[in-house]
Amino acid sequence: MSETIEPQQPERDDSPNRDDSSLSQSEESPQRWVRTPPIDIYETEEGLVLCADLPGVSAENLDLQVQDNRLTLFGRVDMPNDRLETLVHQEYHQGDFLRSFILSDDVDHERISAKLTDGVLEVRLPRVPRSQPRKISIQAD
Amino acid sequence: MPVFRWGSAFDAFRDLEREVDRWVRSMDIAFENPRIGRPYPMLNLYDLGSEYLITAELSGCTAAELDLTVANGVVTMRGKRTPAGDVPEDRFRRRERPIGNWERSISVPERINDDDVRAELNDGLLKLYLPKTPSAAPKQIPVTKGRSEISNENATEGESR
Repeated sequence: MSETIEPQQPERDDSPNRDDSSLSQSEESPQRWVRTPPIDIYETEEGLVLCADLPGVSAENLDLQVQDNRLTLFGRVDMPNDRLETLVHQEYHQGDFLRSFILSDDVDHERISAKLTDGVLEVRLPRVPRSQPRKISIQAD
Repeated sequence: MPVFRWGSAFDAFRDLEREVDRWVRSMDIAFENPRIGRPYPMLNLYDLGSEYLITAELSGCTAAELDLTVANGVVTMRGKRTPAGDVPEDRFRRRERPIGNWERSISVPERINDDDVRAELNDGLLKLYLPKTPSAAPKQIPVTKGRSEISNENATEGESR
């Protein structure tokens, strides 16, 4: 089986969001970053399971969509503190999570399900059921 | 009629620049995704004036699994990241999320009131509030005009202005 799911390299990785929408926000929070979450992908009997670490993302702030074989996840993180001048020590950038994947035709788009627990997203990507060979009866005149 | 135009030549440079950019970025991702050498969990420290705030990215960790202690201004947190389910190694197509036991301790720059430490864990993001002790708050020292010698009082006054 060929690669059923291929993580795409994000167009922007750990770079400040330069969308127009973010520009208006930038006055309040000048450093809003888009980050690439780490993921796991493993196979099961039914298909594939994708897990992503999205700390700080709640279910209502998570946007997951499939369009033209591309699965995109975007998780908004509520800033724990907007006042960046209070930052004394920084190891990660406050920001939102974005990553997209190319799905193969093997994935049944209609049956994709997802759940989010404690900041871990689990997306189930079931395979399209193989069509059973059907015998066509021939009628003799 | 010029055959060679600088304009289009610079376009080629821009293409090259973009190409190199893309290449460098893919290197970055290749090295970053396994998160080699990075501390876990990653945390930020904020100074909110009366208290410190530590935020740590602990996705998949529940409040019961997290062990958090504070002693002598050193905050220690430990826990374990368990892989979801019993998935055999050969089933993985991609594995970027760390697993295993982890422990981190950080020392807070000022004295903190150990009894009033609060911690919240929501959606895998830990917020730890560490209130400073009153003695750590800056104390205002009143400055009065020195009156050392009566003879040159006018001179001191002149200097202090």
